[in-house]
Amino acid sequence: MDFNFITLALSQILEPQTIGYALAALGLAVHFGFTGLLNFGQAGFMAVGGYSFAITTTQFGWPLWAALAACVVGSIIFALILGIPTLRLRADYLSIVTIAAAEIVRYTVKTPDISPITGGSDGINGSSDTFNALNPLPDIQYHLGIGTYNKEQLWIRIVGWVVVIVAALVIRQLMRSPWGRIVKGIREDEDAVRSLGKNVTWYKMQSLILGGVLGGLATVIVIIPTSLQPDNYGTQTTFFLYTIILLGGATTVLGPIVGSIIFWVVLSLSDGILSLLVSNHLIPITSIQQGPIRFIIVGIALMLLVIFRPQGIFGNKREAHFSA
Amino acid sequence: MKALRYKPRRATALLALFGFVLGALVIGGASAASATPGTLSAAAVSPADAPQSIDIWIRQQADRSNVAGIGATVTGPGGFSQTVTTGDDGHALVGIANPGSYTVEVDVATIPAAQGALKGVNPRVVAVSADNKAVPAYFILSNVAATPTPGDTNSPGQSSNSDGGPTLAEIILPRVATGLIFGLLLALAAIGVSLIYGTTGLNNFAHGELVTFGGLVGYMVSGVAHLPGWVGIIAALLAGGAFGYVQDLGLWKPLRKRGVALIPLMIVSIGLSLALRYLYQFIFGPGLLVTPNDSSAFLKLGPVSLRSTDVSSPIICILVLLLVAFLLVRTRIGKATRAVADNRSLAAASGINVEQVIRIVWVAGGALAGLAGALIGYYQPVNWETGASILLLIFAAVTLGGLGTTFGALIGSLVIGLLVDLSTIFIPSNMKFVAALLVMIIILIFRPQGILGRKSRIG
Repeated sequence: MDFNFITLALSQILEPQTIGYALAALGLAVHFGFTGLLNFGQAGFMAVGGYSFAITTTQFGWPLWAALAACVVGSIIFALILGIPTLRLRADYLSIVTIAAAEIVRYTVKTPDISPITGGSDGINGSSDTFNALNPLPDIQYHLGIGTYNKEQLWIRIVGWVVVIVAALVIRQLMRSPWGRIVKGIREDEDAVRSLGKNVTWYKMQSLILGGVLGGLATVIVIIPTSLQPDNYGTQTTFFLYTIILLGGATTVLGPIVGSIIFWVVLSLSDGILSLLVSNHLIPITSIQQGPIRFIIVGIALMLLVIFRPQGIFGNKREAHFSA
Repeated sequence: MKALRYKPRRATALLALFGFVLGALVIGGASAASATPGTLSAAAVSPADAPQSIDIWIRQQADRSNVAGIGATVTGPGGFSQTVTTGDDGHALVGIANPGSYTVEVDVATIPAAQGALKGVNPRVVAVSADNKAVPAYFILSNVAATPTPGDTNSPGQSSNSDGGPTLAEIILPRVATGLIFGLLLALAAIGVSLIYGTTGLNNFAHGELVTFGGLVGYMVSGVAHLPGWVGIIAALLAGGAFGYVQDLGLWKPLRKRGVALIPLMIVSIGLSLALRYLYQFIFGPGLLVTPNDSSAFLKLGPVSLRSTDVSSPIICILVLLLVAFLLVRTRIGKATRAVADNRSLAAASGINVEQVIRIVWVAGGALAGLAGALIGYYQPVNWETGASILLLIFAAVTLGGLGTTFGALIGSLVIGLLVDLSTIFIPSNMKFVAALLVMIIILIFRPQGILGRKSRIG
């Protein structure tokens, strides 16, 4: 038997996908955990940010800073479009509108009519050039124990984790500031905050923008080493993010990050173990049937987490009742 | 202490729920499994002792037969390139030395004209991870040109029309027909969503899976067991009701007793949706399942040509919807349901058994969704995500009509159904859902209570 799937699972800690999901989950924690906004369209924010970055980089040849600015501006505009009509309404309306808007984005970028710009179903390749041009690392192979990386692979991993840590520190300070106390107050009792003279809708909008921008930037980290694929930003991505934040603790800063690491390491481990069992004919399923199992695990884990441990690993039970 | 007492019961209830699904689908699983490639290594080109391999599989959509003699080229990293031809079982196995992303392209020139044309993506990109054997690369051949998205009722309309371009009526009327039929099918599912929302406050994101369940039951009874269509439809109705009952008993009722708030409940329904959807895929595979149907024209009304199922299923829908309306307006339990939807505490205080009403609503919602799924099977092949792909349209219909209002759900469904099909006149057909979703968002801006809703409901 071949046990190298364990190293493969551990190497998920450094995968850009894990890093990106940690950042996007942090954004979703700002929405859902801290402000109580039921955003089911985080995948839409990720798609908008990713496409803004990839299109401006590959089509218009913008420099890195300008493409990143486009990513941020795109996410902000998307947040405004979603937030203005829905933030005054009850939480479940926001959930339906955000999930619908995310799907609208995905259907739209896949349309053949605009595929010269968006790449259609194939997505966009090659948005990494401007980023890799800034790479100061010497061109050798780096052996890190859990994997061997070339200089490009190491560069995105370093930058990715630095971005996540900086974002986490910023969010931590923000949530300890008066601003953070107000948004947490909105989560607990919107009317009480409103009666103190605060503009609740505007605070919710700021929160939606902040979390959405983190989601947009997350996609940049994910797509630089690979490519932008529209179907990676369907509804299941948002549900993965919910599983991640509920795993780690939706009302904490560390929760989404640790949640993302656990999520991807466990998924990779379960894939590895299943492959091992299937290829040695120890369980009676085909390798085609192996694919859906990870999603079944995620679905059941999501249900069990919400029912039995809504505060996650790091959360405080008092903060995690999420009443509508 | 209280929480502890429920724990074992809830866990077993959850298990029972999945046991039910597994049990109900196991027949189909057996038949689906016999169709999936358990024996591919025997006939396919042996990929030596490569640690990874790609399994190229080409099938004919209509009768699900495997197509032999089709050429395909696999290209990948490091200049990897290999051309293979499918064997008698429609498979071709390609050994892969290094994990990575590979592109499989079918050589269209090798497809015999009788098999129709390739449907869906070509070339297809396949990600091969370490030690993944027989990573699937499916290709479906079809004589029907349309892509299988819901609402693509591949037939009413498009009657043979030899003289010049289509007139305005020829463009609009077939779409109105398909739109209305699709709207009625949506209505069956939407009424369940609306009733459940009205009585329990839950936005059930797993409702699409009830629809898929009905479609799969219909496929198993009519497509696998070759029983007449009406048996499949009734079986789907009954099985859907039973599934709704089991779901409420095993999951939602214990959670209500535990006092779980609405937002966590919504997330539970998302988890359930994800788990069920992929459980379906696990059992039935990712392919399309075709329920046998007579595709000859049954009725011709001007430019609209209808198959017999295009006539019978709207009639079934209308009869069932009238029955539901009658039950809601005239009977005791219907009045009780509306009372609970209106004000739960007041209804409980006036002696209505709220739990019983909710149970009936779950059974009815499941049965209607099951019926909708079985009928959808006559318009398009069902697969594991049939229901999930129309879930947002169901929500759009319910929101449009007014969350929690039953008759609003009906009107909303018809509007959404028409909108989806008529919008294809102006926008590319793969964006037809976009129009419906946009309308929903616009309605929420200007009239968040929906067409028939009352302002107090938006809180």
